[in-house]
Amino acid sequence: MKKKVLSLLLASAMVVSLAACGGSDAPAESSAAANNNTESSAADNNAGNAEAPAEEFKLEKVKMVVNGTLTATVDNGQAEFEKQWEDAVGVDLEISQLDHSGYVDAVGRLFASQDYPDVMIMSADMYAQYAPTGLLWDMTEAYDNAEFQSRMTLPAINEALKKDGKLYGFAPTYGNGCVTYVKKAWLDAVGIDASTITNYDAYYNMLKAFHDGDPDGNGTTGDTYGVVAAGFLGNEAPYINYLPEFWQDAYPAILQDENGVWYDGFNTEETKAALLRLQQAYNEGAIDPETLTASTKIAREKWFSNDQTGSSGVFTYWAGSWYQTLTDNLIKNEVNEELVQLPPIAEVEAIGGYLNREAPVWVIIDDMDGDNTREQAIFDAFIETMMDGGTVQTLWTYGAEDVHWSTKAEEFTVNPGTDNEKTYSYEEGVFHLKQSPNDPNSVWKKNHLDPALVVSPLTNGFNSVEGLAAEGNLFFTENCVDAPISPVSETYTNESGTIYDAKMAVVTEVVTKNGDVEAAMANYVATVGSIIEQCLAELNG
Amino acid sequence: MGKKNNVTASGIEIRKKSLGLRIWNHRGYYIMFLPVLIFLLIFNYWPMLGVRYALYDYKPVGEPVFVGLKHFTKMFSTDAFWTAFKNTLELSIIKLFLSTFASVIVSIFLNEMGNLFAKKTLQTIIYLPHFMSWAVVASIFSLFLSPSSTGMVNGLLKDWGIVAKDGMGIYFLADENYWRPIYYVINLWKDTGWGTIIFLATLSGINPELYEAGDIDGATRLQKMRYITLPALANTIITVLILNLAKVMNLFESVFVLYNNAVYSVADVCATYIYRQTFAMALPNYGYSTAVGLFRSLVGCVLVIVCNWASKKTRGRGII
Amino acid sequence: MAEAAVYRKPKKKIKMFDVINYIVFILLGLIIIVPMWKVLSDSFNAVGVYQFRIWPDKFSVDGYKTIIETQALYRPFINSVVTTILGALLGLVLSTLGGYVLIQFEMPGRSLFAGMLLFTMIFSGGMIPEYLVMKELGLVNNMWILVFKHGINVYNIVLMRNFFEGIPSSLYEAAKIDGCSPMGIFFRIVLPLSKAALASIGLMFAVTVWNDYSTVKIYITDNDQVNFQYKLRNMIMDGDTPTTAYKVSQNTLFNAGIICAILPFMMLYPFLQQYFVKGVNIGAVKE
Repeated sequence: MKKKVLSLLLASAMVVSLAACGGSDAPAESSAAANNNTESSAADNNAGNAEAPAEEFKLEKVKMVVNGTLTATVDNGQAEFEKQWEDAVGVDLEISQLDHSGYVDAVGRLFASQDYPDVMIMSADMYAQYAPTGLLWDMTEAYDNAEFQSRMTLPAINEALKKDGKLYGFAPTYGNGCVTYVKKAWLDAVGIDASTITNYDAYYNMLKAFHDGDPDGNGTTGDTYGVVAAGFLGNEAPYINYLPEFWQDAYPAILQDENGVWYDGFNTEETKAALLRLQQAYNEGAIDPETLTASTKIAREKWFSNDQTGSSGVFTYWAGSWYQTLTDNLIKNEVNEELVQLPPIAEVEAIGGYLNREAPVWVIIDDMDGDNTREQAIFDAFIETMMDGGTVQTLWTYGAEDVHWSTKAEEFTVNPGTDNEKTYSYEEGVFHLKQSPNDPNSVWKKNHLDPALVVSPLTNGFNSVEGLAAEGNLFFTENCVDAPISPVSETYTNESGTIYDAKMAVVTEVVTKNGDVEAAMANYVATVGSIIEQCLAELNG
Repeated sequence: MGKKNNVTASGIEIRKKSLGLRIWNHRGYYIMFLPVLIFLLIFNYWPMLGVRYALYDYKPVGEPVFVGLKHFTKMFSTDAFWTAFKNTLELSIIKLFLSTFASVIVSIFLNEMGNLFAKKTLQTIIYLPHFMSWAVVASIFSLFLSPSSTGMVNGLLKDWGIVAKDGMGIYFLADENYWRPIYYVINLWKDTGWGTIIFLATLSGINPELYEAGDIDGATRLQKMRYITLPALANTIITVLILNLAKVMNLFESVFVLYNNAVYSVADVCATYIYRQTFAMALPNYGYSTAVGLFRSLVGCVLVIVCNWASKKTRGRGII
Repeated sequence: MAEAAVYRKPKKKIKMFDVINYIVFILLGLIIIVPMWKVLSDSFNAVGVYQFRIWPDKFSVDGYKTIIETQALYRPFINSVVTTILGALLGLVLSTLGGYVLIQFEMPGRSLFAGMLLFTMIFSGGMIPEYLVMKELGLVNNMWILVFKHGINVYNIVLMRNFFEGIPSSLYEAAKIDGCSPMGIFFRIVLPLSKAALASIGLMFAVTVWNDYSTVKIYITDNDQVNFQYKLRNMIMDGDTPTTAYKVSQNTLFNAGIICAILPFMMLYPFLQQYFVKGVNIGAVKE
């Protein structure tokens, strides 16, 4: 007993003294000179990360941070993906996959901790916010000299990402966007023909019919909704993509007019009108009230849920491969899976159609030591290989060989014993996707890169974009328009959280509390008006 | 033990001890205190030095720049801050009084329970929620109060015809009118039982003769509760209130797991405001959030001192 | 029962009172139990229902199967177990040492130490300065923060101090005369006499660490370092649910997750209840 406790004490004292050594100099030093303290610690951090004599820099490990778009999650064969990547590139890969719905928040915390990864994925508006901070490595030169330039089919995507001629992040695919899906069975249940949904009134009446009628056929009316989404106002550009029919010509963010002058699209008549449309929909049950707080995952799980009571008939979500995924989930949950892709209603068509968001980008974190060797090495190991047209790009596109896809002869059956039973059989040498590692009833679709959206295609001929995904991609490209470009302004970077809070206050006040839109907007101006002015001054200056 | 002669390590008896000798005599204790001291310095005192950043612009990128009282000016002119400050005081003080009141009532009646087995069983049950984390409690109640088809409360309200059957139900946790009452109810659910322990301990210490005297005087059960039990608890009640009043500025986790951006006006508290100002920002300014935190600490400090003074007045001894 | 009878004379009114009292308490018990029971029965129910069900409509363990088969939950669970055990041990060590030293009334500097401890109850650096220190210590994005952050708990130190003070001083004197060193007294006399107090305070630390959500939320982004509470909350509130091979409703999954998060302490609780209560009462003695 005594010995045990004693050893425990000793161990804890050791830990304590170690911890104390690590930081003991700081309090004394920092009270004298606060500035030096952080500066030196920042430098130490960087040194610890990867700093070696420039000539003989050897990259041993890439630490990557990614959101849910890496479909090979830990439960879905990530270990094999990682291993095959490491084998192909010869560098250690450390994957840190953050929760998808909290990604913006998590990145904020990550940056607050200064525990920077080497590479990470960012949405376009995050990219715009971090571009002026100096945290992101200027990869213009590396990009221009990249080996994949020769195979590039969509050079415009990355050209559009340049800020003042400098590229701080690389987009391996174009942005893609959301289209509106409607459950065919629900349309039939309420007797509406999808082809008649051509304008907002028709769209709204359909939502109302889904709420007031009994589209799920459980004998109760009013326990279903028209549409569900992740938030009335998204927290990521292009903000309005989950409810385009309501937002229409409003774009509630800072954007450029046709003369290139930046202005605040939130404080406009268009936004006010959109808010009133949402207000009406919320009051009349056309929109699921949980939209207010739902994450994308909550929204879609609700939509294709096994229990359709409380679900919605309409869902505006990502085009292409998600068309297939949504359908597969409905099948799995034994819900009628037939979906209609709704062409943009007249009001949405007026702005050009569904928004094609700015592409998400991979950025390299600059260690700010003025030397580019490390960053170039990361670019070569990570981004260059991602677009190599062969082995590594296949890993990013389809996942790990013989885990997610294979060229070996095999035969498998999904949903055995149900109406949706389907058997796949392949001959030796034929590229095909296998069953998902964590769900034998669904066929694997893709990994991080969508083969249909990629800026530089695979050269090994592996292709599995077919069926609904291909149909969906085609549908989207025929009906889309590029989303407005996100602003790059220091004030905006510093205050984006405050601005977002202020916007959300207006949205909840008007939509969920029947608040007066003018008063709410006046409140918005009173809260963040001066900040917005400052952003605009910087942008237009 | 203080007045007896001490035996030093060398075995020499001494009558009066010099300071140096006393320190030497206690060397073992200093070593024992060392780990505590180290932890205290690192985890409690070192952060106190950090409050100086309230006077700096300090971001993850770049060096801190001295800006004087800029953050305080900004803070005092920001509505969101004042809302948070006001909410902190209101939420925690009302919560404190409600749960203390509830605990007192429950413990008095629990004390009247004759059947020991029933009493023990009930205690076991009502202490239970205390051991659930706020994350779990919030999850449970979010599921119950959800407007979705599996939300129990809305489902029942519809069954009973209180909410229209084809209406959308009430989104309790995202509604400013309901959020606070629900917050208090959840707090009561979680901690009323646990709060009774201290009162039950006091009650078990009441001299049974008092009750016998009451019986002789022909006092009814309620009269005895009113004139014997309650006064005996008074001191404990005041102690509990004062002790907890000192902690009102600490309110964080219970709000953090239950609030959302629709109810900031009634639910946002200082700590959640600081959290968002730091960790939900693209590039946080530690300076500003430190300033808010410092203000919060100072108000908390004043409260402790006031409570201590009140404690001295009412019970003759301080709380610290 | 016998004790209670001492000061109670049977009267007609008392009967009435008792009946009401029992009814009120049965209701109170139900208020506590019903939510928990609903969670339990829903976790075994294949279909999501809003009604309170004593038994599930359609019994299924798929919710639990999914959770058990989700690798993404393994690490958080192990992290929780490890940090809880170590956190409780560290907390115990620091509290007993601190409490023991605080009763050495003759020790020079004792009141300084006491003052230093108590001052932290009045003033703290606040969330952000604390964060910056943890960053310096490398405890950001590191699950060990759960162990270290709760190490010093002044309230528990005071509890231990109060308890030690209650040990008859004659025992110390006797040990001293026998030539025991302070450490010797501590280990041979004080600790063996304090088993109940140690159990209750250790448990309080364990509960604190196991239940901690906000520390993880603030300090940890890396999914390998988070604890179970955090993962669970993400699952339920942000829909970060595992995709599964089972046709399990989201509601079932959520409820199964909640049960898993409270299971360890709920199972131990009936056996340990007395220690928890004792802990609070040690504090009450001194009030």
